[in-house]
Amino acid sequence: MRDSANQESGGSSATAVRPTSEYALRVSGLSKTFGATRALQDVSLDIRGGEIHALMGQNGSGKSTVIKVLAAYHQPDSEPTAAAELDGESFNIGHHVPDGLRFVHQDLGLVLELSAQDNLALHGGFATGFGGRVLWREQERETRRLLERFAVDIDIHQPLAVATPVERTVVAIAAALQGWHGGSGLLVLDEPTAVLPHDEVERLFAVVEEVRKAGTAVLYVSHRMDEIFQLADRVTILRGGKLVATKDIAEIDPRGLAGLMVGEDVDPDYRAAHAAASPDAPVVLETRDIAGKWLRGVNLKVFKGEILGIAGLAGAGVLELPYVITGHAPRGDRVTGALRLPMDGDEWHDVTELEDLNIPLVPADRQREGVIYEFAVSENLSLSILGRLGRKGKLGLREEQQAVEEWSRRLEIKTESPGALISTLSGGNQQKVVVARCLVSEPDILVLCEPTAGVDIGTRVAIYDLIARLSEEGLTVIVSSSDEGDLLAMCTRIVVLRNGVVAEELDGHGLSQQALVSAIEGGN
Amino acid sequence: MATTRSTSGDALAHPSQSASPDRPPTSKRIASAMAVDKVGAVYVWLAIIVVFSIWVPETFPTADTAKQILNSNAITGLAALAITIPLAARVFDLSFAFIMTLTGVVVAKLVIGDMPLVLAVLIGCGVGLAIGLINAGVVVVAKIDSFIGTLATGSLIQALITMVTDDTPISDAKLSGGFSDIGQTTIGGITLPVFYVAFVAIAIWYLLEHTATGRRLYATGFNPDASRLAGVQVDKLRFLSLVTSGGLAGAAGIVLASTLGSGSPTAGSPYLLPAFAAVFLGATQLKNGRFNSGGTMIAVLLLGTGTTGLALAAAPQWSQAMFVGIVLLAALAVTGLQRRTAVASRGSGVHGAGVSGTDQPGVSTSTSLTDED
Repeated sequence: MRDSANQESGGSSATAVRPTSEYALRVSGLSKTFGATRALQDVSLDIRGGEIHALMGQNGSGKSTVIKVLAAYHQPDSEPTAAAELDGESFNIGHHVPDGLRFVHQDLGLVLELSAQDNLALHGGFATGFGGRVLWREQERETRRLLERFAVDIDIHQPLAVATPVERTVVAIAAALQGWHGGSGLLVLDEPTAVLPHDEVERLFAVVEEVRKAGTAVLYVSHRMDEIFQLADRVTILRGGKLVATKDIAEIDPRGLAGLMVGEDVDPDYRAAHAAASPDAPVVLETRDIAGKWLRGVNLKVFKGEILGIAGLAGAGVLELPYVITGHAPRGDRVTGALRLPMDGDEWHDVTELEDLNIPLVPADRQREGVIYEFAVSENLSLSILGRLGRKGKLGLREEQQAVEEWSRRLEIKTESPGALISTLSGGNQQKVVVARCLVSEPDILVLCEPTAGVDIGTRVAIYDLIARLSEEGLTVIVSSSDEGDLLAMCTRIVVLRNGVVAEELDGHGLSQQALVSAIEGGN
Repeated sequence: MATTRSTSGDALAHPSQSASPDRPPTSKRIASAMAVDKVGAVYVWLAIIVVFSIWVPETFPTADTAKQILNSNAITGLAALAITIPLAARVFDLSFAFIMTLTGVVVAKLVIGDMPLVLAVLIGCGVGLAIGLINAGVVVVAKIDSFIGTLATGSLIQALITMVTDDTPISDAKLSGGFSDIGQTTIGGITLPVFYVAFVAIAIWYLLEHTATGRRLYATGFNPDASRLAGVQVDKLRFLSLVTSGGLAGAAGIVLASTLGSGSPTAGSPYLLPAFAAVFLGATQLKNGRFNSGGTMIAVLLLGTGTTGLALAAAPQWSQAMFVGIVLLAALAVTGLQRRTAVASRGSGVHGAGVSGTDQPGVSTSTSLTDED
């Protein structure tokens, strides 16, 4: 947790620039209605000059709407009238964005095919000479000057696609701050760490501190609670479109913050109730020398009825392993190794030929790899078992309906009707449909990759409970996640990958936050 | 044509979309099947019929005109149906028009060469399937984008046709024998191709609505990654869809050559745009966004009625092409608008906007709070 030394000085460093006014941004009476939905109701926001101010709330709490109104992407309701001022000067919020208000949106707004230099120029303009000719040398100098402050060492002529995620984020921040000299103003960072691997988050924090040192306040939107306590000075919590509280970070703890976000006391140290697999449980899945883009020879034994966690840093192969062992390695990647299911026979299957084994995967990216948005809930759910519905080639709609109803009930999927489009469901319920699609084929083993990505706390707990219940019914579960909280809450055993191989294994009393983090980071 | 059949077929498919195992009452099903947002084109079609009946009362509202509309649009219908299956899987087959030309020319040559008619027709269909296989190889195996890949194979086919025919139509007295019966025989004033269209439309409707393959084709078209992860053999379906369209286009080409009584080296090309227009317009009908045979048939009738009416009214030449363009733009704009309104009323487009290229929550997660609470 950070000491709040900046409370009095507006910056923790001796060389820090003092902000010119007490408040960087003040907004009051902000309301926004979409049709029948009241996205924001009378929200106010006070951000002090030069502070790092976190904005938190569950999905649907109105965080994104606040950002989008600030960026004048949405206009606030005219009744009641919202008032806003930046550095003491009032502005017409939702219609005008003052120069001192800068944004880095979640998708960063970069063109990955272009270089850092071109991307910065797209935001700030090219240095041009006579006839619109670009002065490349001058442009290059300007680019280096902009990136210098943040101490990133990248080739400014390479396409950003080859840069690491954190380098891209830094380029986006530099692009947003172009032409701004510090001392006042506000930089809005919308979920900047959502796509960053754990080990790169620290580098981003250094950059955020750098911005603050220049006297610019930062509004920091994030899902990750640990970050807030490490980085922020104050936090504003929204719930259901209303302001819940604004607090100094020093006067609140994670449990209290989670409580404010969810509206009831939620335990961040939640553990799903489950019994560890019995020590003499048979092996249901065994892998031999699995290698691929990141993996360098993984040997695993998975026991019946356990919930096995796969942990590790990005680049350790944590996100690759679930795809490889279900036969869904990215096309074009060379993967080797073998796998067998001892309960079904002793034969080893090459990992490129796993189509006939029923090992379903709940993929990491629900939007891209999970949900078919044009399909109804029922069509999404039954996709994996179409072949066995009906006979003589005719699709058995009645059988489909029975299967859909049964699984909707078992997983408590909240939907108007099975025929409703899946896009009308909440994110958590969409995720349940994807899980149901995997379970409806009645597998012995289920593999999940990042099962709680972008899911709020309430739904998270529902997913933990669901997985615990399934494992009690005899299902073996393999969960791969970059979120230690997920793994600790669900798993009976955790395997830690480092550099593409199994480095450590934790179970029983070894399952603690501290042990897990130090195993992941690889130091003792 | 198969319009009424396919419409009722859509109603039959409804139990899959209703909440309870009991079918909703028939009256309700009919009402929902006739809703403007599902069959808007049918109302436009009826309006067009009324307009032309007033505009040219002596020639338009007659049985002869109705038959003429059916007969003269049968080939367009066959061509449009040929590309419905690949499009359901989001695969373009731009070569279909050239396949039509090729098989027409090949079969005409074979018939003139005294080959038995049945054998010649079978070989013609085989040529279509073979080109379909080549397309599938180019698109699925060599992984070339289907739009460009089939544009290229289409161009190659045209080159082959021109090479073989020297750009002159193949005609001979032998073509007016049994060969011309394929396309020119009439039953009660309606030519055989109309019946072929009805048959193919029903077959495709059954495939897409009532088989696992049909459902998987749509899944492949909407989200290939998710489909693959759910165990759908995406590549195999794309491959087969192109082979099917090749075969159907081949058959359509033979029917066309028979109708024309010759093997013209440019016979197929005029069908390229009308067929795509009909299929895309059809996708806005009945199944909202899904390419389907019933919608395609409605679209062919709508466009055919309009152009025939304009011809009868002695409207200027350019008016027919203009009509097709306006109908297409209007239909797609209206459906686009409907979809946007639907999204906005859910409020999900709002929070989801701007989220892209990340693993993070996205469209419609915003509703979660209200739901979970």
